[in-house]
Amino acid sequence: MGKKLLIILCALVTLSFSGCGYNTMQTNEEAVKAAWGDVEATYQRRNDLIPNLVEVVKGYASHEKETLTAVTEARAKVGTIQMSKDMLDDPQALAKFQSAQGEMTSALSKLMVVVEKYPDLKANQNFQDLQHQLEGTENRINVARTRYNKAVEVFNSSIRTFPNSLTNSLLLHLKLKEPFKAEAGAEKAPKVKF
Amino acid sequence: MKRLLILFTSLFLLLPLHASALGIPKLQGYVNDYANMISGSSRATLEEELKSFEQSDSTQLVILTLPSLEGETVEEYSIKVVEAWKLGQARKDNGILFLVSKDDRKMRIEVGRGLEGRLTDLMAGRIIDLVVKPRFKRGDFDGGFTAGVASLIDATRGEFKAEGENSRKGTQPFPSSWLFLFVILILFFFFLSSLRKRGKTSNWADQSGRSHGGSPGGFVIFPSGRGGEGGTFGGGGGTFGGGGASGSW
Repeated sequence: MGKKLLIILCALVTLSFSGCGYNTMQTNEEAVKAAWGDVEATYQRRNDLIPNLVEVVKGYASHEKETLTAVTEARAKVGTIQMSKDMLDDPQALAKFQSAQGEMTSALSKLMVVVEKYPDLKANQNFQDLQHQLEGTENRINVARTRYNKAVEVFNSSIRTFPNSLTNSLLLHLKLKEPFKAEAGAEKAPKVKF
Repeated sequence: MKRLLILFTSLFLLLPLHASALGIPKLQGYVNDYANMISGSSRATLEEELKSFEQSDSTQLVILTLPSLEGETVEEYSIKVVEAWKLGQARKDNGILFLVSKDDRKMRIEVGRGLEGRLTDLMAGRIIDLVVKPRFKRGDFDGGFTAGVASLIDATRGEFKAEGENSRKGTQPFPSSWLFLFVILILFFFFLSSLRKRGKTSNWADQSGRSHGGSPGGFVIFPSGRGGEGGTFGGGGGTFGGGGASGSW
């Protein structure tokens, strides 16, 4: 009789996992990680564009050294930060990543403003192409960040509400994830009008 | 009573504030011309062209024109629209939205994830700059839409193929989590009945024994397809990652 009881108990415990949010929390955490993957990929995409952009701008506006150096330095700084999924549980690392990317964004927008002074450069087909790619990438970054924040919101509320909070504190020990904070003037794609 | 009245009036006063954000228009077909920019004949041609393109390639290209964006940026608005409309087929993610806002003189081509390889941001940007923009500048909206759609189709043709009739409207694959639950349930009943049999409570055992011996028809409660598909136009579940290009004229 004791054996049967044990089996029933086991079955009940297994079934109750779906009721206590065990699976939901795991799924939500995976969703956050997937969304983070997109964020990383889009930032990487921007990083890959920059050498070409700098090269093209140099050809026309070589005496804008300061602006160009700022972009190159920002890129180098971003390159030193190891991006990984562990970063998600570490608010400090995430803040560092965010500030480096923010610097990059502002350096790039400054470059795009400077470029306004060079009609030849703006008419250059290469430059126009790069500009489309850069704008597209900035937009992807925006989209990826928004989606990441949404995923974090879902995850955070799922580990904080009852009964999930109980399951989490007993079994999973998942930590709250940090959303992206809007940076002043950095969240908009650099706009260049023709 | 008076307080209640005041409460309600203040609530009503709050309502228009929330309603001011631009909503997502209804997806009516391939051409959703809410700004009346496209003439009747061009509209019919475009509808025809886009329909046959979806039938051959399963790629879903949809046009949306609006009188105004009411202060929203074209990028933010267009991603909201495609998130609601889910253009393109699920897993292929082959949807394209061509969004034009008349009074803002802005447009955007939003490209689904599955087409980003063919229709890159650069390609979309060139189509806007070189094909659509010059015609729009002349006021030739019909020509701009026709030529733009033709370029978009040329750029994406062959990337995907339609897989017969059921590619879009087919039933969803059997969800594995349901299957799992189903198996557990069966095992559970099997277990219960065997317990009962051993305990020799005959009446109960007979019933459950029959139920697991026969077909499990009583358990089949799964929906056999997606509802509300009776000829209405809809997106197929494609996703977007913000790819594409914007422009103004």
